[in-house]
Amino acid sequence: MLKMTHLSKVYRTEVVETYALRDFNIDVKEGEFVAVTGPSGSGKTTFLTIAGLLETFTGGEYHLDGVEVSNLNDNARSKIRNEKIGFIFQAFNLIPDLNVFDNIEVPLRYRGMKSAERKQRIMDSLERVGLASRAKHYPAELSGGQQQRVAIARALAGSPRLLLADEPTGNLDTQMARGVMELLEEIHRDGATIVMVTHDPELAARAQRNVHIIDGQVVDLAEEPRFHAVKAGNRE
Amino acid sequence: MNFQVRPILTALRQHKAGTLLIALQIALTLAIVCNALFIIHQRLGNLSASSGVDEANVFVITNMWADMGQSTSQVDAQVRADLIALRQLPAVRDATPASGYPLRGGGWDNFVTMTPEQVKPTTDAAVYTGDEHFIDTLGLNLVAGRNFRPDEVMVMGTQEAVTPPTVIVSKVLADRLFPDGDALGKSFYAMGATPTTIVGIVDPLHRQGVDSWSNGYAGQALIWPLRADDSRGVFYIVRARPGQLADAMREAPKALYAQNRLRIIDSKDGIQDYATIRHKVYDRDRGMAILMGIISVVLLAITAAGIVGLTSFWVGQRRKQIGVRRALGARQRDILAYFLTENFLISVSGTVLGIVLGFAFNLWTVTRFAMDRMSLAYVGAGVLVLVLLGQAATLAPALRASRVSPVEATRSV
Ligand SMILES: Nc1ncnc2c1ncn2[C@@H]1O[C@H](COP(=O)(O)OP(=O)(O)O)[C@@H](O)[C@H]1O
Ligand SMILES: [Mg+2]
Repeated sequence: MLKMTHLSKVYRTEVVETYALRDFNIDVKEGEFVAVTGPSGSGKTTFLTIAGLLETFTGGEYHLDGVEVSNLNDNARSKIRNEKIGFIFQAFNLIPDLNVFDNIEVPLRYRGMKSAERKQRIMDSLERVGLASRAKHYPAELSGGQQQRVAIARALAGSPRLLLADEPTGNLDTQMARGVMELLEEIHRDGATIVMVTHDPELAARAQRNVHIIDGQVVDLAEEPRFHAVKAGNRE
Repeated sequence: MNFQVRPILTALRQHKAGTLLIALQIALTLAIVCNALFIIHQRLGNLSASSGVDEANVFVITNMWADMGQSTSQVDAQVRADLIALRQLPAVRDATPASGYPLRGGGWDNFVTMTPEQVKPTTDAAVYTGDEHFIDTLGLNLVAGRNFRPDEVMVMGTQEAVTPPTVIVSKVLADRLFPDGDALGKSFYAMGATPTTIVGIVDPLHRQGVDSWSNGYAGQALIWPLRADDSRGVFYIVRARPGQLADAMREAPKALYAQNRLRIIDSKDGIQDYATIRHKVYDRDRGMAILMGIISVVLLAITAAGIVGLTSFWVGQRRKQIGVRRALGARQRDILAYFLTENFLISVSGTVLGIVLGFAFNLWTVTRFAMDRMSLAYVGAGVLVLVLLGQAATLAPALRASRVSPVEATRSV
């Protein structure tokens, strides 16, 4: 599903070159639930933005769903983001000017979906995150946990095959974080591939597989999730 | 491209102040600009109105008598001698005495009635006087009837009112008085106890004034066979032979002074060709058109600057959500379309209000200054100009917005 080989990402400013990722290798299979851990500044977000085609990379190769993405133009990348990928951000990133319904509708409109189908999908996904009664509310009127569930509903509404989450529980208390995690597990059971960056060892432990990043490189790829989660937790 | 009218409108409700400000600015600009366009077009239309005069070859001499105490017969003898002297000049084709001339900027007007008792006048006409050379001198186009005979020309002294029994009228006046087209031979009254009978019709013949209040009687004029021997002075209208205008204008005053030195022909304004006359009389119209043009351009520029400013501000404010939209699958052109559509919606609501304001303003000028009703075309043109201006002003900031990277979505604030 998601395969990076010898991938590198360099941020150049006038004074310094920062290797956010170097010789980065990862292979996420279809239907996997992968938790990505690592210290702050190690390149987790960079990995996710490249995986989600939000950003280009400097060297190496990235195959998404069998397609080498570095040759795609902006329109093609937009189309893939729209149809195959769902994003969940740490800061929720709901559009403050739009109510819950309209927020979830955004990606569906960019897909050119008919109004009736959009409505059906919006209500279905709101149902799924348990916020059907809040369709007319604005983001500012919701708690953090509710906002993140709306963001998840927005990511789900387009039925993406790949869900990318950057510290989805980072801004939530433990109670809310658990709720979000349960939701992700449910989505995973329904067949989506999920890559989630997290600081929380407890959450990481619930994933099928853990990937640890240090200094822009993947270390210790192990198949034993529990063992690895403890290690990651110790490092943080 | 996605035109997302409903969500754009709902989002705009969260930005009421800016939206309202720009919509109002557009409305006011439209109201003023369409009226300005209308006035400009009208004034420019005036500027090109035909006078009926052979303007390329005709000039006017303003002759003041040095001795203002002369009797009417003394003045008349002098005027006739002057005319003989003028007509004898090789560069001159013809000359006539006159009490006024087309495009002079104002002058003698008479109410016209069909009977002597009639209280409310039928209409109003400019009054020209001259001898049997008047029509040929001005180069007027006689479309029906005949010219005056020399024996029909009467003399009118200072402050006298004389109604000659014969008159030549402009076609516009003839049709106004006798809509059936049988004006020739018919009579009317022009502020006198005796009737005057139409013997000829010319077309066209402009009035002396160009004020907009007299637009209702534009082109209505009558010519009486009169030598108006005012003891203060007289106009001589002179028509040069083709290509000899400059010669004629140089020789004419010399010939008059040679005839008699007791006169004043101002060295600056005493002799004017028609180019000068026309330029002078339309000075206000031209000035008004230019002023309106400047006001329109300044207003449009301010509105455009306001739109650029507000859109730039909004683009800056919404970088994050633009990034989010891109992350969720918006193409660059979808972002571009978003801002252009947003501006279009604001422009349209502004122009709707502007149309109402524009017509209200026009209606006020109609009742207050007797101006004409504005036709829809000007409003249409104004709407088009403002909508296009809005789109053009939005383009640069909208393009900047479309280049916001999707990675902006992940940057924490
Ligand atoms: N836009 C950028 N310009 C320059 N350096 C950047 C940029 N984004 C990230 N970096 C650098 O790349 C490295 C990895 O950052 P990031 O992927 O955000 O780490 P993490 O998400 O693991 O905390 C850091 O050193 C960070 O400073
Ligand atoms: Mg990060």
